[in-house]
Amino acid sequence: MLVYTARRIAVAIPTLVAASVLVFLMVDVIGDPLADLRSMQPAPDPATIAAAEERLYLDRSIPERYWLWLTGLGGNGDIGILQGQFGPSVRGGNYVIGAELWAGLHVSVRLVSAAVLLALGLAIISGVISAMRQYSKLDYTLTFVGFLALAMPTFWLGALIREGGLWINRTTDSTFFYTIGANSARVDDMTGWQYFLDSSGHLILPTLTLMLTSYASWSRYQRTSMLEVLNSDYVRLARSKGVRYRTVVRRHALRTALIPLVSVTTVAVAGIIDGVVIIETVFQWRGLGYFFIEALTHKDSFAIMAWLMLSGFFVIICTLIADLLYGVLDPRIRYE
Amino acid sequence: MENRRKWLGAVGLGVSASLVLGACAPPGGDGSDSGNSVTWIVNQPGNGWNHNTPEGGSVYGIQFLHDVLPYTGYWGPDSEWYWNEDLIVNEPELLSEDPMSWELEIHPDAAWSDGEPIDADDFIWAWKMNSGDEDLCADNCNSRGTTLPSKFESVEGSDDGKTVTITMKEGELFPEWFVFGEDGLYPSHLVADQFDLDTPEGMLESSNWFNENQPTVSGSRYVMEEGAELDGRVIKTLNEEYWGDKPEIGEIILQVNTEEGSWVPALQNGEVQGASPATWSDDVINQLDGIEGVEYGVNPGASWEHMDVNMKHDWLSDEALRHAIFTALDVENIATRTYGDNFPDITPRTNHVFSESSPFHEDVITELGHGSGDIDAAVEILEDAGYELDGDSLTRDGEAVPPIRIGYTAGHVAREIIAELAQADLAEIGISLEIDTTNDLGGTLAEGDFDIMLYGWSTTPDFASSPEQYWHSESGSNFGHLDVEEVDEVAVKAQNTSSPEEAAEHANEAARLVAEEAYVLPLVDTPTFYFVDTNYVDNVEDNNAQSRRALWNQHEWTAVD
Repeated sequence: MLVYTARRIAVAIPTLVAASVLVFLMVDVIGDPLADLRSMQPAPDPATIAAAEERLYLDRSIPERYWLWLTGLGGNGDIGILQGQFGPSVRGGNYVIGAELWAGLHVSVRLVSAAVLLALGLAIISGVISAMRQYSKLDYTLTFVGFLALAMPTFWLGALIREGGLWINRTTDSTFFYTIGANSARVDDMTGWQYFLDSSGHLILPTLTLMLTSYASWSRYQRTSMLEVLNSDYVRLARSKGVRYRTVVRRHALRTALIPLVSVTTVAVAGIIDGVVIIETVFQWRGLGYFFIEALTHKDSFAIMAWLMLSGFFVIICTLIADLLYGVLDPRIRYE
Repeated sequence: MENRRKWLGAVGLGVSASLVLGACAPPGGDGSDSGNSVTWIVNQPGNGWNHNTPEGGSVYGIQFLHDVLPYTGYWGPDSEWYWNEDLIVNEPELLSEDPMSWELEIHPDAAWSDGEPIDADDFIWAWKMNSGDEDLCADNCNSRGTTLPSKFESVEGSDDGKTVTITMKEGELFPEWFVFGEDGLYPSHLVADQFDLDTPEGMLESSNWFNENQPTVSGSRYVMEEGAELDGRVIKTLNEEYWGDKPEIGEIILQVNTEEGSWVPALQNGEVQGASPATWSDDVINQLDGIEGVEYGVNPGASWEHMDVNMKHDWLSDEALRHAIFTALDVENIATRTYGDNFPDITPRTNHVFSESSPFHEDVITELGHGSGDIDAAVEILEDAGYELDGDSLTRDGEAVPPIRIGYTAGHVAREIIAELAQADLAEIGISLEIDTTNDLGGTLAEGDFDIMLYGWSTTPDFASSPEQYWHSESGSNFGHLDVEEVDEVAVKAQNTSSPEEAAEHANEAARLVAEEAYVLPLVDTPTFYFVDTNYVDNVEDNNAQSRRALWNQHEWTAVD
């Protein structure tokens, strides 16, 4: 497995480099990062614009800029992904791309991990129940809910859930849920318990939204997988030997039926990082999604590159983990 | 089984208790327990703490810094200039016009919150920072605006630095001399210890330092708490060392919120108490309608929409064609269809430099018939110039006028409506407009890659440098390449006088000449709106004459019990 892993990583590196070239070219054509500066009122001094061009390396050719971004050789010490420098931001020296990306990742992981855990739990439970009671009213209901969540645009689902939270607050004349941000102001003054309550109040609505978007597809996977296993010979054998149905499901069928879901989930987690863009916008979380949207708004090319590279890195790593998990979960699979 | 049920019950009880206890958070102030706290939405992040730089000088940066940095004066909602009498005592007047010179007398008690006096050194730092002089500040200190300070010969202090004398260079004049220091002064003593401010390099380093570090001391009514985030939240509390009257609102939390769909829900949930966003949104205004205790207002804003022609275009270089185009457009209809739903009082703009509310406003458009939508008059102009309109086709010397591109920023709803209405109007005179949106307005304008462009300019009541910026043949912002000697002359004259009235005469003259050239057609003042939850805070007034908008009088806001 070690050799297989090393081989996969070796393949991943040129894939990432090729993707970076493509993305760099695409980012370069989205527009002039200094367009806002040039059209400012009153017009800035030409020397100010020239200094900004120099700072952002816009006075170099595209191949030169890419090489700089990759290696940092010939730069001012603020660029070179291989040296851990993501490059200067069009938003000025205050905006350190690496630090902002890290801070955004921290926030997004909080949201994503809560949502993934909940979605996974709910998907397993509803998938198993649906399979065990195939074509029952409960199965149809869960299927309907799943498809509804799947079909609904994320921003719309988020807005609906936010309205639901507001309705509960209004009805109870209390503030159970918050609609913007990850925390209230002045968290430093809060006790641990107050902080927990405040964080929970901010976390619930976006988590519910993200959870529902993921739950919908995962529950379908789980239902299909469970049905397949329940109809397999070894389950029928166990039943014919007189083992109780619940025991068969819990000890024999469920473990096998989880294998496809685990691999699907692993790959999907990488996708959630991208999907969180909309939810973070709706609920105004300062995570990776917000980072990306702001980078696009400002045509901040090095920040966009940083986000895309992180996203690409996640996809490659998660795909690798999914592949390796196959072998761990299913002893019949061996890597050479 | 019994144990498991008990365990599940305990978990359920815990979750319920958490939510119930969590519900005890007080409304208002984003959960803060500070008295008289107001949370206000800022609709975009700032990018720097030095408002003299392009990064820090955005509307949002200035809103963050308002009333933390001491300011010399401000434009009121009536577009009149008022001195900040807490800082500047005895209304300053010109001492001389040759060379132009004036004196500012700083309040004797005026001091930074760390005890250092606010004095001439702070003005000198602001001058060097924006002087545009490489001998005073390397790389121009990355200044965003050097128009006025670049004309200064000296800034000197006397009376222990409490009197500041500003003298302009020989022959230099400027009608809006009084605006120096309006966005706020920086505490120069903080950088004087770290950098040599007598060297250009030291000044540049000090500029960068102020841009990278949030102000920790205050010279005005509020002090910014540590940990402020340009893309998150800025908390301002009372400056206990302030020498003047203390505001009633003890804490102002400026919350960056870029998603307009979340503003009204957050307002209803007590998470924010108001906003005066820089963008227009019919959706938000419609949502505000009927919410108890929420006050909102709609007013003509500081930005104005206009249609610019590229004078280098083969066909549009013909003045008659431009006049016909401007005449055929029905601007009244454009105004109504774009912003009329929520702002029925909207009227077409009739001057490039002055809005209708300005005392200097003169209508330079109506007499020319521009924007009237008079198709017969437009056709007559064309026929007099040798064009022939045959059904849908307009020709000159047998050659058909080709389709003309009309550009605007992709996704800009109002400009999309304007472009579509223009298409319909101009089809009546045989001109086909092709919509050609851009994702990079600044780049497209700078490259001159347009035939007709729809976009907006932002203005403040200080106008003197606008004509030169808009229309001077050598200005980088004269995107359509107007090149008329007479326009250049009056645009320069508008800046080179000590009298605002005389400057206004020149600015109006420049606007009239530009209208006669049919180069730029003003359309409408983009309206703005503000909203506030009067259950928590009162006496809020929007001010479109300032970047600070409704925050301009935050020191006069009152808390509602």
